[in-house]
Amino acid sequence: MSSKFLTIALPKGKLLIDSAKLLTEAGLDCMFILEDSRKLTFDIPGKEVKLIICRPTDIPTYVEYGAADIGFVGKDTLIEQNQDVAELVDLKFGYCRFVVAMPEDSQPPKLANGAYDLSVLNHKRAATKFPRVAQLFFSERGMQVTPIKLHGNIEIAPQVGLAEMIVDIVSTGKTLKQNKLVEIAPILEATTRMIANRVSYRIKYEDIQGLAEKLRVLVK
Amino acid sequence: MERSSMGLKLPEGMKDLMPTELALLEELEGKALKTCHNWSFQRVTTPGLEYRACVEPDANKDDYLYKFFDKNGHIIVLRPEFTTPIARMVATRLKGNQLPLRLCYSGDVYRNGSTRFSEFRQVGVESVGSGSDLADAEVISLSVEIMKALEVRNFQISLGHNGIFSGLADEMNIDIKLRKELEEGIARKDMVKLEGLISQSDLPEAAKEFLLSMPHLTGKEEVLDKLQNWNHIHAIRRAVESLRTIYQFLKDYGVHDYVSLDLGILRGFSYYTGVIFEGYLPGVGIPVVEGGRYDKLYEDFGQNSPATGFAINLSILLEQFSEFEVDNPEVLVYGQSPGTVVKRCRELRKSGKKVEMALGFLTDSDAKKIASSRGIAMVEKVEV
Repeated sequence: MSSKFLTIALPKGKLLIDSAKLLTEAGLDCMFILEDSRKLTFDIPGKEVKLIICRPTDIPTYVEYGAADIGFVGKDTLIEQNQDVAELVDLKFGYCRFVVAMPEDSQPPKLANGAYDLSVLNHKRAATKFPRVAQLFFSERGMQVTPIKLHGNIEIAPQVGLAEMIVDIVSTGKTLKQNKLVEIAPILEATTRMIANRVSYRIKYEDIQGLAEKLRVLVK
Repeated sequence: MERSSMGLKLPEGMKDLMPTELALLEELEGKALKTCHNWSFQRVTTPGLEYRACVEPDANKDDYLYKFFDKNGHIIVLRPEFTTPIARMVATRLKGNQLPLRLCYSGDVYRNGSTRFSEFRQVGVESVGSGSDLADAEVISLSVEIMKALEVRNFQISLGHNGIFSGLADEMNIDIKLRKELEEGIARKDMVKLEGLISQSDLPEAAKEFLLSMPHLTGKEEVLDKLQNWNHIHAIRRAVESLRTIYQFLKDYGVHDYVSLDLGILRGFSYYTGVIFEGYLPGVGIPVVEGGRYDKLYEDFGQNSPATGFAINLSILLEQFSEFEVDNPEVLVYGQSPGTVVKRCRELRKSGKKVEMALGFLTDSDAKKIASSRGIAMVEKVEV
């Protein structure tokens, strides 16, 4: 393989359109990848670039092992996976927030400063796709909350008594409302990041940094 | 007792090596050690088990150690690397020896929680007692010569300096909290966080600009020219002088084509104090060589010795070779009477041949079949 050849991992799903648009603006024409949703690898004509489409949560793994030189992935996934990759650019799109949410009818009491009194949540359970994020948030506050790892439909967990609260990402808040949940505490905000394999970033520095600089200007 | 299904498995990250793989690993190890010996590095080894107090004295730190208790309740660990145990050994067993000491090692190291390389073979060197740039140039050149001896293609070494950031932090009196956060950003290679921290800090503009440019200073010698404007900062001036001198020596050693300068190699929370270097192979996601200068490590063991060295991950290199060759026997000996067969085997072995002896009686055609399946060139039937 030529040492100039770049493999870029893009996330399947809602971030794919913004990712393709951004790369196209940066000179890597790739809107065509949106046409065939079953194909998972693409070569960009005339460029030494290969695109691979992966599950968002797998992207840090592809990049850590060097199977992809760079990847676009949400900061939420990066924190949850905690893998050894270099994080180069905040691409600003795909904004979301991590929050703790509870059913409307079992909200904790409020403190004098208007925030919820989280101390009543000790020894309770939190359903989440992001146990590491949840664990970090609670343990940093000296709280003892047990994260319960689920793979989807987190919102129903409080309704059936699996957990008292959920830790999840929200972008508009619509899903929370539909399930009669209210935000109790913000945890962190996340946007999409450009990440690179630590070795690729050094041996293909010029190509990767060149792309990073273009993207940085475009998202400003 | 019959083994349960667990008894047939291996713990996560462990693997067996088959004859072909082990033969290659030992060949690589042998070539690497031979090169070390040619450069006057003497081989030592340290035990597989050490006290945690030696390897990682900070009990609050997350680590990747396999831990056990000894019978007195002390925590012992499987060695995760050789540099620290060798520092312990030098400060105790080799105390008072004439410096510099040039030591080399090869052995397996253990990292818990690393699914890919929980156990791997490391070969490396420690050059103890010289703080000179020449000592750094010597070990860097040796690492290149070993890679060449191993016939690894397309490797490249990047050379950076770990003293720039800490020197700058000392000089600017960066407060502890920010410094810790910066170190964490560096260790995680989180440029987004670093940029945020640096641009929001109250550091002088010049220092900010410099810190932000560091990951992008990469290339040959001329990179160092870009640092001339920062000469007023002592730590930077010293690092640049060091790198320039070392690069000059690398030319004398004839290895400079393999080495580029790269101030973007960053290592937070590590024992490295001066130059650091890494060896890369295209398509391999982690460095295959890691090394550098660690002038404070020996102090922690009560001996004031500067030191420099590197380690090569032989297990990753092993994965790069697709063709395995095993040293096959040269002759298969068989016959009716075990006594005469054994006798003939002894004669042949005495004459230097690699001999396989049939354990039962073989027909001529069976003997030929076995020989060809094992790559044995000759068969010899011993008549009574």
